[in-house]
Amino acid sequence: MILLEAHDITIKYGERVAVGHANLKLKRGEITALVGPNGAGKSTLLRSLNGQLRPSTGEVRLEDQAIANLSRRSLARKITVVAQEAELRFPVTVLEFVLGGRFAWSSNAGWGWENEHDLQIAGAVLQQTELAELSGRLMSELSGGERQRAVLARALATEAPVLLLDEPTANLDMSHQATLLSLVRERCDEHESAALVVTHDLNLAAQFADVVVLMKSGKIIRTGSPVDVLTTQLLKEVFAVDVLVDAHPMSGVPRITAVHETHSRY
Amino acid sequence: MTDTSQTVMVANAQQHRVTLKKTLSACLLLAVALLVAVLVASLLGSERLPFSSSLCSLVSLGQNQCGLSADQFDILFQIRLPRVLLAAAVGGSLAIAGASYQALLRNPLAEPYLLGVSNGAAVGTMLALVFFGRFAWSRPLMAFVGALLATLVVYRLARGKAGATPERLILSGVIVTTFLSSAIVFVTTLMDATRIRSFTFWLLGDLSGASRGLLPLTLGITFLATIALTLNARSLNLLMLGERDAFDLGVEVARVRILVFVLASLLVGSAVAASGSVGYVGLVVPHLTRLSLGSDNRISLPAAALGGALFVIVADTIARTVIAPRELPVGAITALIGAPLFIYLLKRP
Repeated sequence: MILLEAHDITIKYGERVAVGHANLKLKRGEITALVGPNGAGKSTLLRSLNGQLRPSTGEVRLEDQAIANLSRRSLARKITVVAQEAELRFPVTVLEFVLGGRFAWSSNAGWGWENEHDLQIAGAVLQQTELAELSGRLMSELSGGERQRAVLARALATEAPVLLLDEPTANLDMSHQATLLSLVRERCDEHESAALVVTHDLNLAAQFADVVVLMKSGKIIRTGSPVDVLTTQLLKEVFAVDVLVDAHPMSGVPRITAVHETHSRY
Repeated sequence: MTDTSQTVMVANAQQHRVTLKKTLSACLLLAVALLVAVLVASLLGSERLPFSSSLCSLVSLGQNQCGLSADQFDILFQIRLPRVLLAAAVGGSLAIAGASYQALLRNPLAEPYLLGVSNGAAVGTMLALVFFGRFAWSRPLMAFVGALLATLVVYRLARGKAGATPERLILSGVIVTTFLSSAIVFVTTLMDATRIRSFTFWLLGDLSGASRGLLPLTLGITFLATIALTLNARSLNLLMLGERDAFDLGVEVARVRILVFVLASLLVGSAVAASGSVGYVGLVVPHLTRLSLGSDNRISLPAAALGGALFVIVADTIARTVIAPRELPVGAITALIGAPLFIYLLKRP
């Protein structure tokens, strides 16, 4: 079942077309990886899906409703974003930070305290992201990986069925990359959520994604299963570099290795 | 659910509630301290008033003269109390305006005085005095317009193509401040020599020349704008973490931004029209409240308003008693207390 559908999206920065006539469908229970070279328009497309960037053509529909017609708060209950964390300039505890994810659910947008339910959900996601012991610490006292997990915890606390993740693993070491994506996988399986992950890591995409969307220069080149999209031919075309694609010896998913010319020279 | 996660949740909730209780009682304590300060400051001054009779009369809200002479009664209710209340309004206004700018602009250094907003309001007030001197209400009105224009200019300047860095914001504030300072000098030259002295005094922050007629307006704006800003505290909590994050989590960023700009300009405008530019209140008071009560704006905004009121009442009482019967400008006292305190805060590990 389709949760979020982007139809014929075009986004321009002035005259420059960052995304041109893109179509994208996010289905319940599926992780979609959005891959492509730097400047392909991946983040721009992601930013249009929750209404932060307005498309000049096309529209984004959530459960068959145009998102342009939804209020900011009701949209935030349905779509959540995990981005690179912004630099914090004020001391905030991990619990306070994660409770921020409950904002859209508060009966009062202005004042009001978080209720029992909010605290329970915050407790549960802190547990899931292994941050429960750190909940009273200040965000500035955490390591980069712990902070990134707090950002994910806050997104999970929104209980939104659509997760948009913009390079969520960029600051993480290998094991935390896998943990983070496992949590996303869990959320998609158990809550029938849909996730879109923008990533540069093709192997991670091959390992975790049900669908891979390949972008170049603002255009979507191919959408399909990892095996269909992550091919030598297509990747060479899009990234302009020779790659070697074979099957992962254990999982069988495509394994991508860039072949640099320098290697053959020396 | 496993036992451990249950325990953690309960611990979380308890910890959260303890924090709330602590901060709420701190707010109550501030409110009580403010009330005491109003009473005590009304009793202090160059003219000695009998303590118990004055207190009795104040507590009866002026219904009972309690044995005060007519002159003493007038000093208490026509001069002292209005001035103390004005000091409270000015302090509360500047402090909560500063706290709101800091949250909205994600900059702990944002403050009406440093951003040039106070100077914008000062230029507005002076223009109103020069051109519409007969209409008392034109001063807060034009001060508001001046404050809002200065806010918008600084905000536009700070938001360059590279985004608004804290340094850029303060730099824009300095540029606007110095520009408006020269505008103030220019307007001063349009005045006759006898008024220039009182203007210089007013510019430094001075509660003595304040028109009593505007007191209800200033108090009303302080009270209502404090409530309105506090009612947006949760949005400001998220804006403090970044505009994009706040948007993603459901905050109507543009609406809150406009609201804060307008309310803060109203606060600064009415404060400056009444008392000139009292510096450091908007910087030091929110810092102290955040330091002691945490960053949650639901607590720190009202606490800043109460603390600011308290701070300026104390500063003004010092200003009018240390060299009585002469007076110092209150702005000189707030800077004298504020600057070293601020240096101490910056140096703290």
